[in-house]
This record gives sequence, structure tokens and C-alpha cells, in this order.
Amino acid sequence: MIPTRQILTPDDLVRFQESTACSEILAFLNALNDSVIGVKTTDTIEDSESIQKLLCLLDAVQQTNKDIKPIETNSRFGNAAFRDFYDKVEQTLPTWLAEFVPAEHVEEVSKYAQESFGNRRRIDYGTGHELNFLSFLLCLDKLELIKREDYTALVVHVFFRYVQVMRGLQMSYWLEPAGSHGVWGLDDYQFLPFLFGAGQLRTHKHLRPKSIHNPEILDEFSKDYMYFESVRFVNSIKTGSIRWHSPMIDDISGAKSWEKVNLGLVKMFRAEVIGKLPIMQHFMFGSLISFSGGSMPAGTAHGEDEHGCADHSHVFALGQEFPDCCGIKVPSAIAAAQASKDASAEPRNAYVRPIPFD
Amino acid sequence: MDMVDVDIGKLDVWIEQLFECKQLSENSVKNLCATAKEVLTLESNVQPVRCPVTVCGDIHGQFHDLVELFKIGGNSPDTNYLFMGDYVDRGYYSVETVTLLVAMKIRYPERITILRGNHESRQITQVYGFYDECLRKYGNAEVWKYFTDLFDYLPLTALIEDQIFCLHGGLSPSIDTLDHIRALDRVQEVPHEGPMCDLLWSDPDDRCGWGISPRGAGYTFGQDISEAFNHNNGLTLIARAHQQVRERFTWIKEKYLVTIFSAPNYCYRCGNQAAIMEIDENMKYTFLQFDPAPRRGEPHVTRKTPDYFL
Repeated sequence: MIPTRQILTPDDLVRFQESTACSEILAFLNALNDSVIGVKTTDTIEDSESIQKLLCLLDAVQQTNKDIKPIETNSRFGNAAFRDFYDKVEQTLPTWLAEFVPAEHVEEVSKYAQESFGNRRRIDYGTGHELNFLSFLLCLDKLELIKREDYTALVVHVFFRYVQVMRGLQMSYWLEPAGSHGVWGLDDYQFLPFLFGAGQLRTHKHLRPKSIHNPEILDEFSKDYMYFESVRFVNSIKTGSIRWHSPMIDDISGAKSWEKVNLGLVKMFRAEVIGKLPIMQHFMFGSLISFSGGSMPAGTAHGEDEHGCADHSHVFALGQEFPDCCGIKVPSAIAAAQASKDASAEPRNAYVRPIPFD
Repeated sequence: MDMVDVDIGKLDVWIEQLFECKQLSENSVKNLCATAKEVLTLESNVQPVRCPVTVCGDIHGQFHDLVELFKIGGNSPDTNYLFMGDYVDRGYYSVETVTLLVAMKIRYPERITILRGNHESRQITQVYGFYDECLRKYGNAEVWKYFTDLFDYLPLTALIEDQIFCLHGGLSPSIDTLDHIRALDRVQEVPHEGPMCDLLWSDPDDRCGWGISPRGAGYTFGQDISEAFNHNNGLTLIARAHQQVRERFTWIKEKYLVTIFSAPNYCYRCGNQAAIMEIDENMKYTFLQFDPAPRRGEPHVTRKTPDYFL
């Protein structure tokens, strides 16, 4: 079963937040979080066979990134070589996954893995894509390919490795931060390394949330704690002091304890990622993570704009008044003339449209 | 109808305060927006502008860089300014930035023109930061409401000496002539589709013709579309904003359209220079580039732990 989008309206989102799918995602997140409390990134943690396979997969993705060089361009957008990278991964992912995922689920599981590397058309990446990686792991969990005792390694080895692979992609192909809130967001790209990282620190006797302001602590403890590592990374990417470029991280440093930070980030994740339509309108559901929204018009739920709108026949089949794809009018001369002719008439599009991206 | 009590003396005090990056009181913002509505409602969807004028692109709450822009371009009202939208969202000082520009607009209505960008919208500001910033700085959403209600009145485009057409985003397949734009009813939230939406959302593209925008609103349009639009409307140039310009001098090879982005080192990470376009009294235009203003010391906003973490 190929996952499809199911959330289009605020009502869909409310229904999703009350759904089993949503509780399963959050329960999985909490279980992963619990598994790293007090765990250092550098601790010796056994990698089971599944974990090793996932690490190999991420190595292969990273190798693909290295093989496909950014193209020389004057474009002011993300680098178009990302699309070659994306296509190559899309081609090979099912083969890699077929080695340990049951055949009937390969297509479904591949979709989440694929989505977790960013958006091919917009050449961007954000917390919605990161959520897809979590969902990819949840699928493996539901298929019992991952066991409870794998969780610590899943976060500290696999998830952290994924973040590093993503940074490579962000840097080499200039992935735009998808839907960036600028200084008002936690980070341009990631959310979960902060969440899990705060989990790691919850039992630490000396290090405090305000320790992020101490460069020596960042240098010394980044290798052990994802939170410090993520702060150090943001500092290395942005100019000026953290109070200017990342006021949210600065504000969080005023929290009383790492437990407050950790639990606060879980609450924030629920509200700012799972609870946000601009993110969740792209999320896909299948047989493993299952939810039916009800508002999504048939023919627009698949792979959103990935198909490049080459074939509009499915849209005409719905009997709409003018060519329409992905909720966007096809700007043919005919459509344009039509639109200008009845610009003053009532809105022609009966169904709701996704929130535009900027 | 309530008479709005904003005199020049008060405006000058407010502008001085805002130049120090200090926000106005909630009640002052209310009065300011009520007055601004009266000024903006008189303007056209294609607001005529005289040269000389300096044309600016996105600011996105980068207050210190806006102050730098005035240093590079000259103080208002000695220099006339045309801003092409996107004053708010993403940056730390959207409140101070948009309040200052609106106050300047009322103080010198003939000397400064402020257009609407796609971020001057209720829906977009709830996603990209301005709403959160208003809540954080005022403790409630009233100021956000005053401003987003005012945004409905901002003109959509401007026309410099009947020659240079300025707007935030780009062209629309539903619009052939400037008269089409003049006929739009602009006083509304930016719609999800249609000509008004396109003007604020579209982007130029290397490909000819119209294309579907990856943004999910507006269109992409090729050089052929810009050329035809300029020809049909007797224009020499389209000046627009909406996209960060990464390379220096990208615009030089462009004949029909230029992109002007005025937020340097966008979001503290992009490393881009910003630009403004000076048009002199002979309609000759030059680009001035500038780097981010140094952020001295620390921001004077007190650290406040968000509710999630209490």
C-alpha cells in the first residue's frame, strides 16, 4: 500500500490528533525518549543486526550524496543536483529495504524513508521530513523488525546518524529550510536531536540548561550529548551570538532543569509539529500508520507535487471546471482567459487548498 | 466614527522611539493603525510614484538592517522610499520594523510608499513568526490584529513615472494590463488563488511561459511573459522582491525584471548581501549593496522561558 496524504483541513487535523495513528507516533517518540535518559552518545551500546542494517542504509545514502556533486549554477535556489540524488535514492531504497522488510511492505516503508530526505521539487527540508524518519522507524517497529532493546541504539546511533546525513545534504545541495519561522523557530531544520538530547541530559548532576552559553562545555560535551552538539552546530552555521540568531534556544536555556526542557520539547513537538497544518498536510498514511481524513480530494493525495503534474487527465475525470492539479490551476492560456473573464464571480474551487509554502 | 488623535508631534516622538528599536504601547499601535487605514485607503492598487525614489525589497523584521538601509540610502524624508512588502515574520523585530514603516508612512505620505507582501497576511503571519512575536512582546494578540487588519489596505503595486512597475511577487496569468489590477477589490485577506494572490506570490523563472509554482500559490513566469507585459503596458522594467538574491549582480543580465531583496545575511545564515535600487530624477537606476549591520552586544529583550518549559 502506497501511503497517501489525508490531512487537508483544520478539521482533518483535529481528527488526526484524536486518532490512534497520532497516539502511536507520540507513544513511540516517548518510548525512544525514555530509552536515552542518562545515556551518553559515546556509551558502548550493542548494535543488533537490524540496527547495523539501518546504519548501512544511511551510509549508502551518504555515499550517494558524495557521488552526486552539486552542479555549477547561478540559481538562487537550492541546488538541482539534489533531484538526481533524490531519484537515485528512490531507485535504490526498495532494494536496500527488501533485504529486511517483508516484500508486501517494502513500498510503504520506502515512502516514509524517501520523504525523510526532503522535498524533491522545492529542494527543501524541515521538521515534517524529520517526522517521516521517525515514522519510518515506527513502521519497522510495527513490523517487529526492531525490538524494545534496540531503542537506545536506534536514537543514539541510527537517528543521530540520520541527522548527520541530513546536514551533509543541507550543506551540499543548499536545501532551503522548509517553512522556516526564522529566529522564531527552534532550528531551521531539525527538532528531535534537541528533544532526545535533552532526554540524555535529564539525570546529569552538573550540566544545566544554561550551560549552552559556555563554549568550553559545548566543546567538551558535544560528543556525549546531542543537545550540545546541535547547539554547537547551529553556532557554527550562523553568525553572531546565540541570543541573536536562536532566541528560542536561548529562551529554553532559562528552564529550571533538563527534565523541564525534555518534557517541554515533547509538548512543543505535539503543538508545533504534529499540531500544525502546514506540516501535517504533507504527511502520508498507509496500512501501518493508518488514518483517513475525509477532506482530501481523490487524485491529489498521492505524492503531492512529485509527479511534476505531467498528466492532468485524472483531474478532468473529476469533472472540475478547469484544469487543476495539486490544488493549483494549470496556467494554460485557456485557464488564464477563463480566470480573467469571471474574476469577479464566486470562487470556483469548491474544495479547500493546501496552505501555500514560503 | 471615532476621531483619531494622532498629530505630527506625537508621530515624531513615536518615530524617534521606534528608531531606538523600542516598541509602542498597545494603545498607540491602535491609534497608529486607525490613522494609517485612512491614509492607505486613498491609495490606488497601482499607486503612482514620482522619481527620484529608492526601491527596497523584503525586510522580514531585521530591524537593525533596516536602520542600516536608511544609512546607505539616505534618511527619510530626504530620500523617497518605496518598500515592496514583507516587513514581518522570521526576524526578531517585526513589530518594531512594521510599526516604524507605518509611522513613517503617515508622517510623510508623499515620501514613502509601502506595498503589501505575501507575509502581510493573517494566515502567513500565524505560521512564520509575527503572531508569536506580538504575543510575546504584548502578552496578547491585539497588536497582531491591528496590523493584520491594516495590511488589507496596503496597495498591491506601484508605478514609478509610468515606466517602472513595482510589486512584491510577480505577474498573473489573469492580468494583462495595469487597469486589470486597478479594478481589483484589494481590501481583504490575501486569497489563496486568483490575480491578487498571484501579484504577491509569483516568481520569475528561467523557463518560458507560465509554470506551476512550487510554493503552492502564484505562478512562475518566464522572461517572455515579462517582456510581453512590459510591452503591452509601456513599461521599461518590473521591480519585485520575494526571493533572496544569492549572487552579487544577478540582476545585471536581466532586461525586463529585477529582484531586490533587502534583508542581508537573511536569518543569520545565508551570508547574502542586501540591495536597494536608487532611481534618480532622470530615471537612471543604480543598485546599492549593503552588508548586515553589526549586532552590538546582546538583544535588549529579556530572556523569557516559553510556557512549554515552565
